[in-house]
Parts: sequence; structure tokens; C-alpha cells
Amino acid sequence: MPQSASVSTFRDTNSARDLLVSLFRRNETVLLLCLVVLIAYFSFASGSFFTVRNITNVLGQASLAMIAGIGVGVLIIAGEIDVSIGSLAGAVAIPLVVIMNHGGSLELGIAGALALALLVGAINGYLAAYLGINSLIVTLGSMFVIRGGIYLYTGQKAIPDKQGLESFYQIGNGRLFGTVPYPALVALALLIGFMYLMRHRPFGRKIYAVGGNPEVARLAGFNVKRIKFLCFIISALLAGIAGILLSSRLGSAVHVAGLGFEFQVVAAVVLGGVSLAGGVGSLFGVALGVLILSFLSNGLGMLNLATEWQLVTTGAIIIAAVGFDEMKRRRQ
Amino acid sequence: MSEITQPVTSTPPVRRLAENSPIVLFGLLVILCIAISIGSPQFYSVENIIAILRQCSLVLIIGAGMTMLLIAAEVDLSVGASLAFAGVVAMDVTNQTSNVWLGVGAGILFGGFVGLVNGLIVTRLKVNSLIATIATMMILQGSVFLYSRQAIQNHNQLPAFTALSTGYLGPVPVPVVIAAIVFAGTFVVLRHTVFGRYIYAVGANRQAARLSGLKPERLTLLVFVITGLLTGLSGLILASLMNAGQPTAGRGFELTVIAAVILGGTSLSGGRGTLLGTLLGVVTLQVINNGIIILGWDQELQMVVPGVVIVLAAYLDLVRRRAGAR
Repeated sequence: MPQSASVSTFRDTNSARDLLVSLFRRNETVLLLCLVVLIAYFSFASGSFFTVRNITNVLGQASLAMIAGIGVGVLIIAGEIDVSIGSLAGAVAIPLVVIMNHGGSLELGIAGALALALLVGAINGYLAAYLGINSLIVTLGSMFVIRGGIYLYTGQKAIPDKQGLESFYQIGNGRLFGTVPYPALVALALLIGFMYLMRHRPFGRKIYAVGGNPEVARLAGFNVKRIKFLCFIISALLAGIAGILLSSRLGSAVHVAGLGFEFQVVAAVVLGGVSLAGGVGSLFGVALGVLILSFLSNGLGMLNLATEWQLVTTGAIIIAAVGFDEMKRRRQ
Repeated sequence: MSEITQPVTSTPPVRRLAENSPIVLFGLLVILCIAISIGSPQFYSVENIIAILRQCSLVLIIGAGMTMLLIAAEVDLSVGASLAFAGVVAMDVTNQTSNVWLGVGAGILFGGFVGLVNGLIVTRLKVNSLIATIATMMILQGSVFLYSRQAIQNHNQLPAFTALSTGYLGPVPVPVVIAAIVFAGTFVVLRHTVFGRYIYAVGANRQAARLSGLKPERLTLLVFVITGLLTGLSGLILASLMNAGQPTAGRGFELTVIAAVILGGTSLSGGRGTLLGTLLGVVTLQVINNGIIILGWDQELQMVVPGVVIVLAAYLDLVRRRAGAR
């Protein structure tokens, strides 16, 4: 009797999972189709769009939002949100550059930057997951505090990289075999790693469970608070990595770096089919969402449209995509 | 049941007081004022108090709408961008027509139009308001530059336009009068009209509200339009204050407004909040900002301190609610 019960529940979860997987697949197919159409259109419209140089450029630019988007995606799937990532991505450049300016190695600087990200993630996670304060408020607060902290420390000026390490320049601007930008490789590696984690590891499945229904997850014996706490850490660390690459591209610690980055990333994540209600979405979708927005803004630039048009179209596409997605969901 | 019996039985008066969030915030405000005035006596000068009130009025006008939105369990992040655009439109129309009142009308109507669009996206397309208004924020930030790349100056130098922000009605600055009228109006609407009670009902439990015959979509749409109109009004005052329509004005203003409303005890999950709390939240944040300046501290602290205060306020609110639930 207990055996048959367990078998049947196993089947149930399996078929439910199959259903979910096929649903996700459909959503991602649509996104993939959009991306292909977009690329095809711009290739016809502009001769210089579909070149190795330009495509790899876009991938390099997209990788920062992709890296941060993976973290935010995981966190939103867990039913929480982090809007402090833009400030954090700007802030990590300070320990990085300051350590290098004092003669430290790049590795030491990166360690310092990630330590700051870890600290911020732990504070956000403790306040939101353990104390139970709404995560939008917590991270809105830390967004202010971190940005204010940056301004206080830098006096609203950029801190230039005085040592000029070649390796520091290379991590953000270098290319493997002269073609694939390193940030794109970092993004790809993280994407594969976290996709594996979310789909095939118990921890990933627990994140979906926690985001879908925290009460049920708790009754199933999951440590909901700890899982959410870890997701805040993941989000902060990935924002930190994005910030390190950004500062390498800028060649300094810029006090306004990452301003508005959080909105861009959250928009891409939601465009990728992750529901703000939690428990729904995939990181592959997030990657597609980021790529669509990046190719869109690059392609519009190629057509010599004013950069302001990029903002306008991006906004309109987010509304259309999310609205379409909602309509589809209500039909089913 | 327990709510009624608790005060009668054995709750100590101090705790009863602590459970009243506006009173706690008011106490905090009083302590802040005393502390700042000890550090710098000029805090109580008439000029300084008027400066604080003038700064409060811009935030309070939008904050009144934002409070209603948050009570209805929605949010609007586009108010900062809309504020700037409305100011540009108001200034432009004033220049074109040499008529301040047409400019005033255009600015307010522009804000209302943005609110209408936001409301339609949220209620018709069912897009989550956080995402929808991030998207409209992007659209507004982009299109305001397409409309005008530079600040639009007050070409005709109409004194009536600047009077909107720098004028006085008796001893009181005009923006403060406007903010007071807006506050009184929205206060009455929220507390004493059926519409106001419906907003609470929709925010607390949308499904239950629908089942009892309310039309949550229509109510939500209306609250978005009200917030939009108030944003237009505030944008107009800001343009008048700068004597120009500045496309880059209002960046991050949405966060200041939301911070003040949350500090005032309005819940992000809807159904709870008061305008009195918002008023106190707005004044507290502006007194902190002002204090940082007149005490000669680093101006950058103006971002750090509110950040800490918001989180602290949210935590205190949580503790209070848990104590109440027990």
C-alpha cells in the first residue's frame, strides 16, 4: 500500500513535470522564434549587422545582463526580488580597483569584490528571508544605501585604475581566439551551470517548490528560509561578477556604473517568461530574454535610430510580450 | 474579536501606543526635530521650515496617489519619468500659447494620460504593474528626449508660471497650498467615501471584492489615472520651480515617493495604509534630508539614511503586526 502510494505520487509529479516542461518549451520556442526573426530582420535591414564582429560584440554586451539575470531569475523563481543589483554591480568595482591601486593582484581584487557582494547578499537575505521583510523594500533600501555609500566613498568621482594590469583589461575586453569575448564565455558557463542546478539538482527543484508555494514547501520539510537566503547570496554574487566585468570594460570604478541596471535585468528576466509570482520560469528563457533585448538595442542602433528609440521600443516590447504571455496563460 | 477585547483587558498603554504606527512615526519625527535643532538652531527659522514644506509638497502630491495605488495592491514606477515629461509639455504649451492655464491643463492632462495608459496595460493586458510601469518608465524616458533634447526654457518669462512654485498665498507658499488641498481631498476620498473603502477592499482581497460585486479593474484603472493626474500636477510645479521643462528631472523620484509611502506604514501587499502615515513619512524623510544639509554632513548621506530608515520602518511594522496577530 505505501509502495503503491509512493509510486503513484512519483508518477503524478513526473507527469506534472512533463506537462510543465512542455509548457516551458512552448514559451521558449516562441522566444527563440522572436530572436531568430529579429536577427533575420536586422540582417536584411543593415549590412553590418550579421557580421562576426558585431554578433560577438552584442554577445559581449549581453553577457553582463545575462550573468546578473541568472541570479535575479533564480531569486524571482524563489518568489523574491532583488533591485539592489545595479548599485551592487557599481559598488564591487571599488574594492576591486582600490585593492589593485594599492599594489594588490587582480585575484585579490576580485576576492575583495566578491566578498562585498557576499556581504550584501547575506544582509539582504537575512533581512528578507529570516526576518521576513518584503524583499522589494529590503533591496530598495539597500539600493539606496549602497549607491549612497559609493557616492560617499568616491565623492561622486570615478576612481581610475592606476596600476593598469593587462589581466584586468583582458577579463572584460579580451577575446578567446580573437573572436569570443571572455564575458560571454563566463556568462555561458554560468548559464549552463545554473540551468543544470535548477533542472537536475534537488536544490534547484526546491527553489521552484519554495517559489511556487512556500507553505507546501515548508510542510514538505524544506528549509524555506535557508533556500531563500541562499538565492539572495546567488543573486548578489552574480551581480558582483557582472560588476567586475563592467569595471574592466570601463577601466575604473565609476560612481554611476550600474544605474538603472536593475530595471533592465528584471525586465529581461520577466520577458524570458519568469513570473513575478514565483515558481514559474526557466533560465534558458531568461537567457533568451536578455539576448532579445540586446540584439534589439544593437539592431536599432545599426539602423541609425536615435538611442532614445531603443528605450521606447524596449518598453513597448516588454509590455507586448508580457501581455501576450498573460493572455496565453489565461486561455489555458 | 481579539482586537476589540485586547485594549480593554491588560495591554499596557505603552504597547498600545507602540502598536499605532502613525504615533510611533510622529514620535520619531519629534525626536529628529529636537536633535537637529540642538545641533543647529537655524533649523527652526521660518525660511528653513518653508523650504522643508516646499520640498515636501512635491513628494506629497504624488505620494497621495501612490498611497491609493499601494492600498489597491498596485505600484507605479513611471511617476519620475512622467513628472519630467509633464513639466516639459506644460512649459512647451505655455510657450506656444503664452497662456499659463493652457500649459497647466496640458501638464496635468499629460500625467493623467500616462496614468490611463498604465492602468489599461495593467487591467486589460493583465501585466504586473511593477513590470508594466518599468516599461512605461523606459518609454517615457526615451520619448521625452525625442520630444525635446534640451530643457525648454520659459521663453516668454511669464511671471504667472513661476508663481506656481515661488508664489505665496498669504504666508504660505503656493505648492504647499496645492499639496494641502490634494491631501485633504484624497484623505476624504479614502476615509469617507464608498470609493475609498472599495480601494481598500480591492487591495486586501481582489477575489472577494469581485465576488461582492465590485469591479476591481475599473477601480484600479481609476486609481492609476488619479496618480497620473497628480504626477502631472507635481511635474508642473517642478517645472515652475526650475523655470524650465527639464527632460532629465525626476530621475529616481519614484523611489523617493515609494520610500515615503512605505515609511508611512502602507503595505506593499495591498489593503493597508493611511494618508496620514504618508504625510508623516514624507515630512520625516524631508526633515532627515534637511537635517543632513544644515548640520553640514555629507550630502551623500541623503541616500544612505532613508535607505536604512525604510528597512527599519518595514521591520518595525512587521514586528508590530506579528505582535497583533498573536
